Amino acid sequence: MNLSVLRKTLSDRWAGTLVYALGILGYILMISAVYPTFKKTMAAKSELLKNYPKGLLQFFGVQNINAASFNNYMTIELVGFIWVIIMAAFVIAWTRAMISGEIRDGTMELLLAQPVERWKVLVSEGAGLLAGIAALTVVTAVGAIAFGSAFSAKVSYAGFAAFLPLGICLGLAIAGYSLLFSALLDDPRRAAMAATGLTLFFYVLHFVSQYSSVVAKIDWFGVFHWYNPLSVLDSGNVPVKSILILLAFAAIGFGAAIAVFQRKDIK
Amino acid sequence: MPETIISTSSLTKYYGKVLGVKDLDLVVGSGEVFGFLGPNGAGKTTTIRLLMGMLKPTTGGGTILGLDTWSQSVGVKRQVGYLPGDARLYRSLKGEEHIRYIAALNGTGEKTGLELASRLDLDISRRVAGYSRGMGQKLAIVLALMKTPPVIIMDEPTNGLDPLTQRELYEILNERRSGGATILFSSHNLPEVERICDRVGIIRQGELVATERMENLRAMRLRNVEIIFEGAIPGDLDLESLPGVSEVERMGNRAQLKLRGDINPLLRLVARHDVADFTVSHASLEDVFIEFYELPGEKKEDEPAVKPPLPPRSLRRGKS
Repeated sequence: MNLSVLRKTLSDRWAGTLVYALGILGYILMISAVYPTFKKTMAAKSELLKNYPKGLLQFFGVQNINAASFNNYMTIELVGFIWVIIMAAFVIAWTRAMISGEIRDGTMELLLAQPVERWKVLVSEGAGLLAGIAALTVVTAVGAIAFGSAFSAKVSYAGFAAFLPLGICLGLAIAGYSLLFSALLDDPRRAAMAATGLTLFFYVLHFVSQYSSVVAKIDWFGVFHWYNPLSVLDSGNVPVKSILILLAFAAIGFGAAIAVFQRKDIK
Repeated sequence: MPETIISTSSLTKYYGKVLGVKDLDLVVGSGEVFGFLGPNGAGKTTTIRLLMGMLKPTTGGGTILGLDTWSQSVGVKRQVGYLPGDARLYRSLKGEEHIRYIAALNGTGEKTGLELASRLDLDISRRVAGYSRGMGQKLAIVLALMKTPPVIIMDEPTNGLDPLTQRELYEILNERRSGGATILFSSHNLPEVERICDRVGIIRQGELVATERMENLRAMRLRNVEIIFEGAIPGDLDLESLPGVSEVERMGNRAQLKLRGDINPLLRLVARHDVADFTVSHASLEDVFIEFYELPGEKKEDEPAVKPPLPPRSLRRGKS
C-alpha cells in the first residue's frame, strides 16, 4: 500500500462519490415518502400481484407479497435493482479510470516513473475504491433507516446492518472483473463496455435462472446468484457464504488484474 | 575508464510483429551526457521506455547503476529522473500539488522542486488544465529533476520551450553534470545535441547505427571548399588525388570540392598557384546525421552538389 497514492485517489474521487451518495439519498427520500401511500394501495394490489409469474416476483425478491413490509418495498424499489445499477455504474467508472484510463491519459507514465511498485499502485487505488463502495453502501443503509423511520415505516435495523457487508461485497465483486478488463484492454471505453456487458449478462442469467432449472445450475457462476437482499433484510443475518463467495470473485478479479498490470507495456 | 551507468545488452523490443528496437548495445559512462538521435519512429522513445521499465523487453535487457531495468525497476526509478517525450500531467492538480505529490512518492525533493519552478519562471499556483504546452513541459522538467537524481533520462526535453527556457535548462543540465550526474536524452534538435553532448548515438529503424564522440563527429563533418583562381584552373591541378577530397567540380576559374579530414595537403597544393579566393564552410552536423540515414543503395549519385552556405570565414589571398 502506498499512502500517497491512496490519499490522492481519495482526494480525486471524493466529489464524485459525494454526488452518487447524494443521488442515492435523494432517491431513498423520494421512495420513503411514497411508501405510506404504497402501503395503503398495496393491500388492494396484492391479489393482483399474486398473478404475476413467480419467477418475476422471485427475481425482484417479492416472493411473498407483504404489503406491510418495508423490506419488500425497499428491495423492489431500491436494493433489488436501482441500487445495483448505481453501484455497478460507480464501480465501472472508477475501475475504467484506474488502469486503461490513466494509461490513455498518460498520467500512468508519470506515476510509474516514480519508485512505486505497480501492484502497490493498484492496491492503493483499490483501497480508495473500497472506501467509495463502503461509503455508498453505508449511505444507503443509513438513508433507508432514517427516511423510512421518518415516514413511519417499520424499519429493520438488523436487516440494513446485515445488508452492509453484502452490498459492499457485491460492489467489490463487480470491481474485480471490471478492473481486470481495465488491465487487459487499452481503450477505457472498451473496458467499461466489457464490464457493463458482463454485469448485464450476470443479471440476465440470474433473471432467466428463475424460470429455467438448466440455467439455474450455472447461475451460481454469476455474482447476482449470491446477492439476495430481501432475505438479508428480513432475517437480519449476515449471509456469510454469499459474502465469502463474492469476496472470492473480487479477489480473483483483483489478483488477475494485478498479474496482468505487472507485465503490461505502458505505451 | 569511466564507470558504466547505463548499459543495454542486445536489447530488443517487438510490438507484436512490429519492430521497436533490435539488438541495441549501448553504454553510457558516469558523468557523461549522451545524446540519442534519430528520426520519428526510429526507436528512441522505445529505448528510453525500456530503460525506464515502462516496456518489457522481448529479448535482451538493460541496467542502470547495475540494476535490471525491468525486474528491478523500482530501484532504478529511485535513482533516475525521467522526462517523458509527451509529458502528461494531472489536469485537476495545481503545479505545486504535483510537486508535493511527486516529493511524497520519492520521499524527497519538494524544496528543490519549488526552487526549480521559480528558476524556470513557472506559475505553480495554477491548475495544469490552464497550462500552455510550454508550461506543462516546464513542470514535467521540474518533476524529473527535483529529487536531484544521479541519472537523468529525458525524451526531447526542449519540446515546447522558448529559447530562454531552453538556455536555462542547458545550464541546469550542465550544473547537474558538474555535480556528477549522468544524462541521456533524445533529441531532434541538432544544435542542442552539439551544444551539450559528449557522445551521440544514432538510431535508425530500431538499430543503433553509430555512437561517436562529439569531437569525432565534428571532425567527420565535410568542409565545402571553393577555390577561385586568378586565371584558368591549372591543368595539372590534381585535386582528386588528395586524401579526403570528393565531388570535385570545375567551372571556369572556380573549383568546388568536398573535403573530409586534414586540410593541409589541399592548402599546400593550392598555394603553388595564384588564388583569388579560398572559402571554407563546414557542413552542418545535420549533414553528418543525414549521412547515417542513407540506406545502402539509396545514395542519389546524380543529385547536384550541395551549395555551401555563406561561409563563416574566408581565407583570402595573402593571409595565412
